[in-house]
Amino acid sequence: MIAQISFSILLGGIMMYAWTEYARAPAIGLVGLIVAAAGLYFVWLPEHATWIAAWAGIGRGVDLILYVWVVISLLVMLNLHLKLRAQMELITALAREVAIANAHSPATTQ
Amino acid sequence: MGTGTENSVWVVVAAYNEAQVIGQVVCDLIGCGYRVVVVDDGSTEATGPISGAAGAVVVTHAVNLGQGAALQTGIEFATRNGAETIVTFDADGQHRAGDVAMLMEALAKTGADFALGSRFLGGATAMPHSRRMLLRAAIWFTRVTTGLQVTDTHNGLRAMTRDGASRIRLRQNRMAHASELLETIARSGLRYVEVPVTIEYSAYSLAKGQGLADSLKVLVDLSAHRLHR
Repeated sequence: MIAQISFSILLGGIMMYAWTEYARAPAIGLVGLIVAAAGLYFVWLPEHATWIAAWAGIGRGVDLILYVWVVISLLVMLNLHLKLRAQMELITALAREVAIANAHSPATTQ
Repeated sequence: MGTGTENSVWVVVAAYNEAQVIGQVVCDLIGCGYRVVVVDDGSTEATGPISGAAGAVVVTHAVNLGQGAALQTGIEFATRNGAETIVTFDADGQHRAGDVAMLMEALAKTGADFALGSRFLGGATAMPHSRRMLLRAAIWFTRVTTGLQVTDTHNGLRAMTRDGASRIRLRQNRMAHASELLETIARSGLRYVEVPVTIEYSAYSLAKGQGLADSLKVLVDLSAHRLHR
């Protein structure tokens, strides 16, 4: 139960993240939502994962693999997000210096 | 209304597509004797030229970066140009230029580094109930996460001393900058005082305002900020 709750909180947070990203990047937001929702589904209904595993010809160990896969995928996404934020900070610093260097006094704005 | 020290006071106005109201906002501030820098945050219409025609210095971001980034640009511009006091002021016309004097008076009287406008100590005309609830939640969140017993958190009207301004570096480009500023004040032990101000909501300013989805974005930004340097 502790693991289920922990994974649910993590996946719920990722679903919120995916929702907020949807406007900027619909594909990433949608896939993120689907993957996180699938993760939540298998966390609470592991027997379905087993059924799917059996249907696909894979043993029960797939439960754990699915969990790990979901978490790793989401962590990769998070890492990418953080890298993009770092890039954005560099772009902001550059744009700021250019803007200040080209400030227009009232007489020269028009 | 003048205090005799306006020449060293810069009012920073971050503006994105505010051509409809920015001229009046700048005129009101200049009428009070303040120096105004409008940071045109990559507007696609005439925000910059209108601001310049109204008498403001205009600093233009080549691309839209967000309100937090624009404010930091304006603050850096002001400090590089000799500002002793820096005021941030929203571009959508919901603040009163006359309230700026009260912020500066509070700084002078208390020796604080920051004077933060509070609509909940002052007044707010035509504030929707949903907006009030959202702001209350934000205040609760800020109190829990920073320990600051503030009464308003996302009020764009605030004043800071040169020393206070030099201690902050807003890295949150978008709306989370308001929370980031309060976190910096709490972490750095900077002194602040709250000042009653009035917010005059209009259909225009409400359309520009934030909703629940924006609040979630703020939470995501604040969380991500803690995960990287």
